[in-house]
Parts: sequence; C-alpha cells; structure tokens
Amino acid sequence: MKKILQELKKKIVEELQLEEVNPDELADDTSLFDGGLGLVSVDLLALVVLIDRDYGVEIFSRELGEKVFINLSTLAEYIEKNRKKDEDQ
Amino acid sequence: MIERPWFKHYEKQVPHSLTYPEIPIYQFLIDTTAKHPDYTAITFNALHMTYKELNERVNRFAQALRKSGVGPGDRIAFLLVNSPTYVIAFFAVLKLGSIVVNLSVGIQGEELIHSLNNSGAEIVITLDLFAQNIYQVIKKTGVKRIILHSVFGLEKQIPRDEGTPQPQLFLDLLASSPSSEEPLARVSSGDVAVLQYTSGTTGTPKAATLTHANIGASVLQSERWVGIEGEGNASVICIIPFFHVFGMSACLLISVLKGYRMLILPRMDLMDILSLLETIGTYRPLSFPAVPTLWAAIVSLPPEVARSRLESIQVATSGGAPLPGWVQERFEELTGRKIAEAYGLSEASSATHFTPFPHGGPSGSIGLPLPDTDARIMDIETGLKECGIGEIGELVVKGPQIMQGYWNNEAMTAAALRNGWLYTRDLARMDQDGFFYLVDRKDDLIISSGFNIYPSQIEAILERHPKIKEVAVIAIPDRLKGQAVMAVIALKEGQAGDKEEFFRYCQENMPDYRVPKIILLRQEIPRDPAGKILKKVLRETIKPV
Repeated sequence: MKKILQELKKKIVEELQLEEVNPDELADDTSLFDGGLGLVSVDLLALVVLIDRDYGVEIFSRELGEKVFINLSTLAEYIEKNRKKDEDQ
Repeated sequence: MIERPWFKHYEKQVPHSLTYPEIPIYQFLIDTTAKHPDYTAITFNALHMTYKELNERVNRFAQALRKSGVGPGDRIAFLLVNSPTYVIAFFAVLKLGSIVVNLSVGIQGEELIHSLNNSGAEIVITLDLFAQNIYQVIKKTGVKRIILHSVFGLEKQIPRDEGTPQPQLFLDLLASSPSSEEPLARVSSGDVAVLQYTSGTTGTPKAATLTHANIGASVLQSERWVGIEGEGNASVICIIPFFHVFGMSACLLISVLKGYRMLILPRMDLMDILSLLETIGTYRPLSFPAVPTLWAAIVSLPPEVARSRLESIQVATSGGAPLPGWVQERFEELTGRKIAEAYGLSEASSATHFTPFPHGGPSGSIGLPLPDTDARIMDIETGLKECGIGEIGELVVKGPQIMQGYWNNEAMTAAALRNGWLYTRDLARMDQDGFFYLVDRKDDLIISSGFNIYPSQIEAILERHPKIKEVAVIAIPDRLKGQAVMAVIALKEGQAGDKEEFFRYCQENMPDYRVPKIILLRQEIPRDPAGKILKKVLRETIKPV
C-alpha cells in the first residue's frame, strides 16, 4: 500500500495542479478536503476520473465516496483492494 | 432601429410572440396538481413527494404564516439551499400575496444587513446551518422572526443575544397549521412576487423587483424556446440554486409548469457532486440546467461514464458565465447534441437570449433574443445612439420579463431603466443575422488616452501564449492617460516566465495602446462558483505601486 500511497500523492499534486504542495512532505493521513489538501467539488470529480483512469477503480456514488475520500490513506487502501489495472498499465 | 434580423434564425417551433396568461405564478402549481396529482414533484435523497402532497404542504405552510399575521406585500427573506423547504415556502409565501426575498446563502455581514434593511423583511426562513449569520446581524435589522428548518439539529446551539427572537421550527409550524385549504388571497399578475438580490460585479446589493407577470413571462419564453415535450413525469436536475434566477426559472418553475419531477440537489457538501452522478444514473433526467464549470467537469469524465450519464438528457442548458468552446465540442462528441446557452440577468427574471435549440448558434454567441424580447446595441458614452452591425456598445433589452426597477432605489432604477429599456452594463455586438456576442462588462471597459480598450481582446491574445493558464485584465488609474492596463497572469503548472517575456509578446501582438503598463504574475485568478473571473476582487486586492 505504501507504493500506491506515494504514487497517489504525486498524481494528485500533479493532476490537480496543487502548487506549493510537495508530495513527499504530505502525511499519509492528510485530509483531502478542509484542513488538508482543500479540494473543492470539481477537484473531487477530477480525482474520481484519475482513479478510474489509472487504477480502474470506480467511485461514482456518494455512499462509497463518503467512506473512501477521507484522507490519502483511506483512498490508497480502497484502491489497493479494488484495483483492476496493473501497475504497468 | 435595425429591424429584428434574429427572427429568421428562430427554430420552427418558436413563435415570434407568445400569449401570457394574467395569472400569479403559483397557479402553475395549482394547475399541475389538478392535472397530475400523483406525479412525483420532488425527489430529495430518499424523500419523494407528489404534486398533491406538495400543494397540500404549501397550503399548510401558507395557512400557518397567515395565522401568525403574514399578509399581502410582506417581504419574507429566504436564506435556503435547494430543498423541499425552499419549494414549499416559495409557493406558500406567493399564495398569500407576500413577497419572496431571494438571498444567496453565502451572504453575511454588511451585505446581509443591507439586503434585510433595504427589503424591509421582518421574517427570515433559513436552515440551522445559516442561522448564525442572521443572529450575528439581527440587532441591526428589522427582523422579528426566524423560521428554521433543522437539518443538523443545531437550533439549540446557535449563539443568540438576549432580546433576539427564539427560532421557530419549520416542521412545527407546518404541523400546527389550521388547515390545508387553498389560502385564496387576492393576487394579481402585476403584484410583486420576488425581490431578487444581486450585487452584480460591483457595488452593494440591490434587488430586482420582479412581478408574477415578469417571472411567468420569462418561464414561458424559455419553455417555448426549448419546446421539448417530456413524456409524462420526466425529471429535471435541480442543482442550480433556486435563489438564483436561472435556477428559479429553469429548474423550479419550468418543472412545476410542466409537471416534471424535480431531482433536488442542495450542494451542501463536496460529496454532492457524486450524488449528482448517481442521481443522473438512477433517474435518467430529461433536462439538466448547469453552469459552465459543472459542464466542464462532467464532459471530462471517462467517455463511457460521461456518455451513460448524459444519454437521457435531451435539454442541456448552460448559464451564469460563458461556456468554453471546448466544453461544447466535447459535449457534442459525446452525445451528438448541443448545450443550449442562455444569457440573462436577475433584472430580466432570467434569460433574454438563448442559442437556438436544438441546432445551436455560432461559436461564442449568446444566441438570439427570446420571443417578445427586443435587444439593441447602444453607444457606450451616451446610450442614446444605436450602433451598427458588428459595432461594440452596451446591450439594452426590453420585454415582458424585465423588472419593474430596483426595490427602494430610485437612482439606480433611473440609471438602469430608460424609456422601457434595461441597460445591462454588458458590452456586446450583434452580427447581421441577429446573433449577439458578449464582449465585456461596461464596468470593466478601460479608457486610456481616449481609446476604448476591451479587456477581453487583450486576454484572448495572452491566453494563446503557451505558458499562460489564465489571465485577467483590469484598469488602473494613470495620471496622464486617465486609466492604464494591468494584466494579472497565472502560469501553467511547471512553467516559468518573467514579465519582460510577456511584455515583449504583447508588443508583438497588439497595438501599443493596448499593451499592459503593468503585468503581475499570480498563482491563480479568483473566480466565482460559476467560473466568472472576479475582477472586483482583483481590483480590491491588487494595489499596484
């Protein structure tokens, strides 16, 4: 999971253009929203797209979103358990 | 006057003129309830409410308000997100001949005080979540009652000064109502229905005074323009706030007029964007009015997800800010259809222009004036001389949807309404076919050494620079020229550049008088939720030396 977590930090910072955020300095339990990365709703949609595209993991429901999009670690854990795309893809 | 060239581009289903019944807008609800009592009116999370149930609750709430002394002409302020509470309270207030004061839920402090005092509202209907904003200012206003819908059970935790009124709970009032009979107040179509507060892009909030006739005409114009007959109890996504005229018209009132099911999404938190995707998948809505940022996000979904979500949507509309060309193209690639773009303003109850539906208009156009709507381009300086085809001037509009004036504000009314024409303060041009194109806000126009400089012309050139992500051009005072140009630039991720490089680029690509005097590099440009650049904020926050 450590590997996905590192990879995810990098992807989120790059894809969502989080300037002034160094992915290597992000704690594993950094919240995705208030008090953490401060993502807004359009970012959340971009994140959903990223996770589907890169890992084949669909999070298109509110119920699931509320459980998964808590912090970087909960997201990485869910991806690891449900990923359909190989690391090489 | 240039004769109305736009008529020849009207789609076949759209007449040049409509007949407007002289009825109050709540009659839409009464008529639909009589015709389709068992159609679903509202779906909100797990709650489903038929038209019969909705109308009964509306009557109950109206009777409860009446019992407590509310009557014709009273102003009731709404600080509510999209919810069944909004719909019930909206129609209940109107059925009593009272007036809905539509406020943005984000409003607080001085703006809130001004809006409450200007409207003279003595009652506020809100959610527990926003009640604190009211209690913080209540002593500086004439508000005597607060009706709360408790969503989070916060009503007992709201800090409240001594002498301020206890909040009343919306559901308690509904339960205590003496009856569910129609209130049968004498309301005519010329009575004021809504005070629509807007701060526009400059200045303190002012309220567009909209009658039942204004709003009813606007709803009928847009409905006939699109002209889609959904089968039975078709669904409409209601995510655009009802407190905004676009949401009030395209989501709330067209749905009630046609007997559609309102799929209400309050946008209370971030996860609502996921609720939206789920809701579209489950209910396969016929109509989806949205703002450009939301369309941009949806068309960026993986193609198969986007296609499956957009499949059922026959009427996709966009308003609030210009729709980027790439979003329209992507939508067309995905669905084979077009997003219809609307241009409107609070002062016009909603839309004055629409791109032809379903075939669309020229790229970058805001479309054609709606039936019974006249539009002209007038010279910027005096507003008295009509401009020729293709010339840039101030867009002025006239029609049955135009407001009566600004509430309690004669000076601003006189400036905005002249000889029956609404001066929009938007700079625009019209082509020979009668399609209109927005150029800029009049307030954003820069006059430097006698030259009229349109910020959008400079922005368009700078946006083509490969390193630039976004740019906003504003005026700065200049001792010699009156005003000068300042460009605020945000670079793309990973790009580096210095001001000199962009100065040189401007000198090579535009006449000297348009070259910015000052260029500032910033990480981002502030935008409102609809994606419109907040030049007012830039002007206030950037103090060039």
